[in-house]
Amino acid sequence: MAINKTTPAQLDTVALPYQSQLSRRDSLKMLAALAASTLLPALSGCEPAPTPVATSSAGNAVPTTEHWPELQLNPITAPGYGKDPNQILPPESPWPLTLTPAQLTLVALLSDLLIPRDGETPSASEVDVPAVINEWVSAPYARQQQDRAVILPALVWIDDEAKLRFNKVFASLSRSERVAILDDIAYLNADTPPRFVRIAKAFALLRGLIVAAFFASSAGTKDIGYLGNTAIGGDYPGPTTEAKAHLAKVLADLGLTEYAWQGS
Amino acid sequence: MTTAEILVVGSGAGGAMAAYQLTKAGHQVLLLEAGRDYDPKTETPMFKRNAEAPLLGAGTPDKDFGYYDATVDGGWQVPDEPYTSAEGSEFMWWRARMLGGRTNHWGRYALRFSEHDFKGKSRDGLGADWPFTYAELAPWYDQTEALVGVCGTNTGLDDMPPSPPGVLQPPPVPRVPELLVAAAAKKLGIAAVPMHRAVLTRPLDNRAACFYATPCGHGCSIGAAFQTTTSLLPMAKASGKLTIVTNAMVKSVDTDAQGKVTGVSYIDKKTGALQQVTARVVILAASACESARILLNSKTERYPNGLANSSGQVGKNLMDSTGANLGALVPALQGRPIYNEDGHTANHLFIPWWGHQAQQRKELDFPRGYHFELGGRFSEPGANIDTSLQGYGIALKQQVKQKYGAYVQFALRGEMLPNEHCYMDIDPEVKDKWGIPVARFHWRWSEHELKQVAHGLQTAKAILTTMGATVDELPTPEQAILKGGQIIHEVGTTRMGASATDSVCNQWGQTWDCPNLFVMDGGVFASNPHKNCTLTIMTLAMRNSSWLSEQLQKGAL
Repeated sequence: MAINKTTPAQLDTVALPYQSQLSRRDSLKMLAALAASTLLPALSGCEPAPTPVATSSAGNAVPTTEHWPELQLNPITAPGYGKDPNQILPPESPWPLTLTPAQLTLVALLSDLLIPRDGETPSASEVDVPAVINEWVSAPYARQQQDRAVILPALVWIDDEAKLRFNKVFASLSRSERVAILDDIAYLNADTPPRFVRIAKAFALLRGLIVAAFFASSAGTKDIGYLGNTAIGGDYPGPTTEAKAHLAKVLADLGLTEYAWQGS
Repeated sequence: MTTAEILVVGSGAGGAMAAYQLTKAGHQVLLLEAGRDYDPKTETPMFKRNAEAPLLGAGTPDKDFGYYDATVDGGWQVPDEPYTSAEGSEFMWWRARMLGGRTNHWGRYALRFSEHDFKGKSRDGLGADWPFTYAELAPWYDQTEALVGVCGTNTGLDDMPPSPPGVLQPPPVPRVPELLVAAAAKKLGIAAVPMHRAVLTRPLDNRAACFYATPCGHGCSIGAAFQTTTSLLPMAKASGKLTIVTNAMVKSVDTDAQGKVTGVSYIDKKTGALQQVTARVVILAASACESARILLNSKTERYPNGLANSSGQVGKNLMDSTGANLGALVPALQGRPIYNEDGHTANHLFIPWWGHQAQQRKELDFPRGYHFELGGRFSEPGANIDTSLQGYGIALKQQVKQKYGAYVQFALRGEMLPNEHCYMDIDPEVKDKWGIPVARFHWRWSEHELKQVAHGLQTAKAILTTMGATVDELPTPEQAILKGGQIIHEVGTTRMGASATDSVCNQWGQTWDCPNLFVMDGGVFASNPHKNCTLTIMTLAMRNSSWLSEQLQKGAL
């Protein structure tokens, strides 16, 4: 199968395209806009009405044979940000972005399946993770171009798989259909069927990127609980009482209590 | 043509200390820096979040150590200023092209070398001794530590000679992963102790104490983490006796018909014009390999092998530290209570070399020591891409949270011995943008380093296992050892010694061949102890500038 990146798979209109061209630094604005709008029904948990085909297939998905799209990707030739970029005000858009609206929509859907809204904590797309992925796969550096050569085929594979199983692109599937595919590609272990190994590895990279982008966002950093990068007056306070108690238990469990650090 | 009393090439650890010490002694100093001017007070990205940077702040060929790394116009490659490696050799050369050089981003680990370190050859017959003892250098370490500001404690260990009372500032208290490592190591008979670090925990001069936030590698606008651009250079400038010229790329040291050093030629990078400066004394502190490159490129009829090279040792004896990493997820640390673990953003505890006595008893199959730097804390989320995650949804987030702060890494930093396969010379073909022939590197680790790394991997595995971690099959030392130059402790290319036949400089950094030519960077190291070179570069520059000043006052030069 040869699919050029400039001719993306047909996108069904059930899911409206992911439209953010905002920088991550505008993510708070983005968040507010999302909260006030019904722009992205597929991203906010309201799934399209399932069709009879979808419900039946999701339960007993027909196994597909191994397939992999061989894409002819044009190398990215834009310059990088250089050896002496402004560190105080980093460039908003260091190089041209390359994902199509359809690809961004797919990334947004996958982002929110991976990291859905969780109580007060926004979902991955709500903190503009797809924009980070776009910046990443559009970057001119070798590592990111390698990642692009993995992620872009993975996106095509996911739509191909959706079409093979359900005759629709991924964005047009019901939640249960999407999850059926995800269940096959989101785990990589000894039991992973051979036909899913390659996509599972590629998906692991995309997932790693989405997870990193989410937790690096303000909301994600708060969610993981990072408490640093804040100036402390006086001496560094060190572990809290709770952390010390936990360490004492760890040392006891490991038989290391008598070796506890006594200062030096 | 400009005329200077003392001309210093380079504004990093050695050059800035020389400028400071010599201006303090009343001399006029002209300092040439190949890079641009740099002001940490306005340029340091303090408190900037990874998400505000392109690619979540990830390292790229433009900014190898991440978007916010303080290195300007440098890294493993400098535009228009290539270097080459001989066939079969791989060497990485980190350069910065900025005022303050690599001191703007260094790790600030500041450990004294010990009596073992200066007399290795006397002990095991390998490498070269230094032309002085620890006791002779100790008072200069005292002064340097007091001036630079080093936090740490006197541990009483044989690898860590003590500082006089009141010199060291108090170290920050250790954090949980370090405390777990310390207990596990102690069970194996290995001590973990406070790192010595050039980070203020108490104010000093115009510099504030650390406020335990924002990585030191970004630079430090408040001056807590030592860099010459917030300390030695402004202090020297305040004397009114220091003139700094940036964008001045030195091409050669110039000599007269009698072979006496008269000054240097440099390229003004702004205009491309060749400039000449005459000076009574020239001090090279351009970094070990850049200074050696300048000497080798300063060929004349009288000095056909390059300047100060009658011994043939310029460019030879190139050493880096050995490096290898081993880490593991520690189940006992999973899901532990979160608190602010930034601290001074690097090691509070580390593991110094514990095997001097075992080596004396010939119980180890490698001659020189190493230390472990410890990694693992609740750090700011960024571009660490974890491809081992499984699944999706809330369970996926839980996995990430469980792993957060539970990964512990040991970074080995060890001493390598000089060997005949490790050196630099001048590439016969390649020139940089300025027409200056470039450095060419030759590199091969010896059995000594590989056996040391094998020992380190096994030791790190033993400690991790004692912590309850599962460690995969160890890599071979050949797989694990990092590349030559990668630890950025390259030294030895203009080594000092007791004799003009096998060294380039005497114990004062004065070249044997040219009395008014000195080297004050890591090039003068006779060996490369495992303890990171910068504190000793500064200490030697302070001591040797002081000696130089005495000679000038006596009219000896």
